[in-house]
Order: sequence, then C-alpha cells, then structure tokens
Amino acid sequence: MASVEIRSLTKWYGRSRGIEDITFAIEAGEVFGYLGPNGAGKTTTIRCLMGMLRPSRGEVRVLGQRIVAGRGTQHTRIGYLPGEFRIWGRPKARTSLSMLAALGGDRAATARRRALAERLDLDLDRPVGDLSKGNRQKVAVLLAFQHQPEVLILDEPTAGLDPLMRQVVLDVICEAARAGAAVLLSSHDLAEVSAICGRAAILREGRLVETAPISQIIQQGEQRLKVWFADGALLPEVPLAQWPGVRIVERQPGVLHVAYQGSADPILKWLGRFPVDRITTPQISLQDAFMQYYQQQRSVTSPACGDLKGSCS
Amino acid sequence: MTRSSRPSFPLRLLWFWFLRLLPAWFGIAAVMFLMQIAIAAIVHDNANVRTFLGFLRLLPSIVRTALGGDMLESGNMTALLTVGYQHPFIMFLYMVYAVGTPTGLLVGEVQRGTMELILSRPITKTQVYICAAVLTLLGMFTLVMVMFLGTVAAVHLYTFSEPIDLSLFFRLAINGGLLASTFGAFALLCAASFGRLYLAVSVAVGFLTINYFIAIVAAWWPSLEFMRKATLFYLMYYSDIWLRWPVENMAKLAAILLGIVLVGGVIWRRRDLPL
Repeated sequence: MASVEIRSLTKWYGRSRGIEDITFAIEAGEVFGYLGPNGAGKTTTIRCLMGMLRPSRGEVRVLGQRIVAGRGTQHTRIGYLPGEFRIWGRPKARTSLSMLAALGGDRAATARRRALAERLDLDLDRPVGDLSKGNRQKVAVLLAFQHQPEVLILDEPTAGLDPLMRQVVLDVICEAARAGAAVLLSSHDLAEVSAICGRAAILREGRLVETAPISQIIQQGEQRLKVWFADGALLPEVPLAQWPGVRIVERQPGVLHVAYQGSADPILKWLGRFPVDRITTPQISLQDAFMQYYQQQRSVTSPACGDLKGSCS
Repeated sequence: MTRSSRPSFPLRLLWFWFLRLLPAWFGIAAVMFLMQIAIAAIVHDNANVRTFLGFLRLLPSIVRTALGGDMLESGNMTALLTVGYQHPFIMFLYMVYAVGTPTGLLVGEVQRGTMELILSRPITKTQVYICAAVLTLLGMFTLVMVMFLGTVAAVHLYTFSEPIDLSLFFRLAINGGLLASTFGAFALLCAASFGRLYLAVSVAVGFLTINYFIAIVAAWWPSLEFMRKATLFYLMYYSDIWLRWPVENMAKLAAILLGIVLVGGVIWRRRDLPL
C-alpha cells in the first residue's frame, strides 16, 4: 500500500481551473518531487492532500485512509511545510511550535524540536517576528519534522536558507525518508530535486505531463552533441529544415552545440563531411528536461515507472 | 497505524487564543466595571442626580432616549443606575469585543496565513469554529456579568436613598448577556462567511449599528414605533424585565443565537478557505 495515493484529483475554483485528473502515488521511504511553474496547481494539489480544499472530483488517501476536507484526517502522522510560511510574530518560536505540536497530542515533540533546533542553529526563545527570513524558514522546518511524521508534505522547504543550512535540511529530509517516511517535495530548485528525489511528477496548467524516475525524465528528453571543428574550418550551415527535432543550442566560432531527439545518425553522417576535431555528448540536467516540457508544449503523460526509491535511499 | 486518527478537542488552541484575547477582554471588563461604580457614584447623591439630570436636559432628546429616556428622573435610583447598562460607550465596548473576537480569530488567522498551520494539525474545521464561538459567546456573557458585579460592588460602596433591587440587575445582566452573545454570534457568522477581514468587520459593525439606531429612533420618534420589533434590542428593552424573568424573550434570543451559530458553523465547514 502506498503512503500517499492521489486518484483523478480535480479541483475547479468556480469556472477557473485548479488541477485536473491528477493521479500518482508515493511509497514509504520515497522522496517524490512535484514540479511545475507558478500557477501550475502544485499548491492546490497539496492543499487537497492536506484536506484544506474540497476536491471537485477524485480522492486522496494518506496511509490508507481517505482524506475528508476539513477533518484533520491523519494529520498526527503528516508533517506539513507550507510554501508561504507565516506564523504568529509575537510569541516565541518555542511557544507557537509547542502549541501546534500539542494539537496532535505529541509529548515527545519537545526533545525532537530541541535536537533539530540545535542542528539548524536556531534560537527558539526569540519571538518569531524578530527572526530573519532564513530563521523563520527553519521554524517551518521544525514545524514539519518535530512530531516525527510518517508522511511529509514539503512546499519549498529550503527557500531562503543559506547553502549550508540547505544541505542540513536536505539531509534531514533524506534521514526521514530512510526511516520510512514518504516525502512529497515541491520545489523550484531542480538541482535539489534531482539530488534527493527518486521520482518526480511534472505539472503543467493543472495536468500531470510526466510521472517518472528522475533519470528517465532526464533521458527521455533531448540529447546533446557538442562539436569542435578543426582549426580554421568554417562553421557549416546546419540543414535544420531536413532534421525535425533538432535545434541549435549554441553556436560559436569553431563550436556547434545541437540538441536532438531520436537518432543521432543523420547528424553524425552530416558531420563526417567536415574536419571535426572532437565531439562530446553533454549530460542534460533536470532543469533542461523540465524546460523542454514547457517549451515544446508536449502533453503526453508517461506511465509511472517501477523505480520508486529516491536518491536518499 | 496505531495512533488514533480522530482529532481530540483542541484545548491548547482554545488556551492559546484565550491568552491572546485576555488583555483586550480584561481592559474592556475593567472599564465596564468601573463605569458602573462611576454611575453609582453620581446617582446615589440627590444633588448629583439633579446636576446629572440637568445636564441630560441639555442634550438632544434622541441622546436622552439612548441613555434611558423617560425612566431617568430624580428619585428613580434603579432606573438611573441602568444608564450604565445602556450607555452608548458601553454599547461601543461590547461591539469592539463582539466583532473583534470572532473576526480576529477566524478571518484574521486566515488572512495572516496562520489558519493553514492550525489546519495542518489534527484538528477539524468545526473544532476551530467551536473554539472561536466559545471565546466569543462566553467572553460576551462574562463581560455582562462583570458589569453586573460592578453594580453589586457599587451598591455596597454607596448608600442609596431607596433600596436597589439587585435581582432586576441580575435579570438585566442575563438577558443582556444573551443579547450581547447574539450580536457576537452574528459577528461569528460574518467571520465564518467572508474571506476578508474588512468585509466581515464592516458587515458585523453595520448590522450592530443599524440595530442600535433603529431601536433608539423607534423609541424616540412615536411615528416610527412600529420599527421597534425590527431590532434585536426589542427582546431586551421592551420586555417585562422590570417585573419578572422575560422567559419568552430569552427563549427567542437563545433560539436566534443558536440558529446563527449553527448557520455560521455549516458555512465555515463547507467553504474552501482562501488560505
């Protein structure tokens, strides 16, 4: 049984679209990336998952139990970090966090909170209003992790953190996943997602356009060829009209960088007519793959693959 | 799977909100308590009463009506003491609490973004609403009781030329508590229905103010007397409260209060909050 199951989830705000027909599942111990530009529907999905919005259609199950909007179902076992974290400014961080932990009746949260605060170098005895943006984000991290949840819903968990703290938070996420927690990580930092997520879903205009392991998302996009021509050779004119799916990434004196889909055979045969010094095949990043989903306006949804465990494991 | 998935009542949220409200409640309660003593300090002395009534005669007749109207006369100490219960400033203080509490707790938390944190914990929306309702209604009722305690303290502090019937003030306090709580419930309904603080506050304040002015104008202008029944104040001031417990009016107020609270609860539970 998956820890999180979302089936045909649809949310309309009156006549405007929120999300449509979203389906995916997250297994225990998996870190699942949830990607999409602003307004794609990531927060709507997360709020439906948290029971804060009533879905127009479809259902969400967390740890086997159906989530009913407004009922706080399974929330003792969910750690939530909202995208726009705002908390009461006047009370000390400790007071607000302990009140929110107590709402779940968790008495062991104090020790975990203290340990996490030490690890994140956060002073819990200062009013939250006096904290910097980065330190407030640390409070958000504590809020999500302090009750040792089995499911973590994290919306931009490292926003506003310095690189050192960012790494600490990523380590904390990985440790939670290794301990068996299912993690949904929504982030705009694609390097971060590819570093810790095993699979990811890409959302565009409220619909899932891809759900696959990160490695597959990267591979199934364009491939690259970078060619250095021999000294003094003129850069030939690329017959792009004859090669559908090929585009020029970069063109400099003596260097041609092209992206292609499908077979490289026609490009290599064409290159054979020119004095080539060397050829490399640069690896594309998740960011490149992500951009392709939006630039090419593709709308094919690939089936989910079996490789479930994230890089954390 | 061993942990229960049914949320228990969020007493910690109730306590957290109570502590946040306490300074405002205490400030309003203190002013109301002291105001009863100040009124008693004036009306227990006949010379002061004559000055007070002389001052009242200088005021426009509609203001005199707002303060008690024809009941205010030298020798009617009990009626003069009730000025402390219907003074516009007292009404204003009630309004501040009645409107400020539910809108601050429900819409305020939504607008601040902290409602999202509360709802991310094992707590139902209905429980959040109940916490806000308890603090609003009990807060209003306790304010009225503090006002009554002010009268009790004042009666013990000063000597009056006629016996003061405290049971009348107790009836006034209980009935007034119900009325005040009903206005609090209406503000709660607004807080549950609107996504923006200014909208919830405007509608609630508008409703209270219109009710109050209709009651005053209807009492002041005989041609508009028919409008008396159009306000909730009718269930307070136009009853036989001076003689006995106005059971019928209290039952009506309680029914209206309950109805408004339930409607607010249903709206709050069913609507998607603009988090």
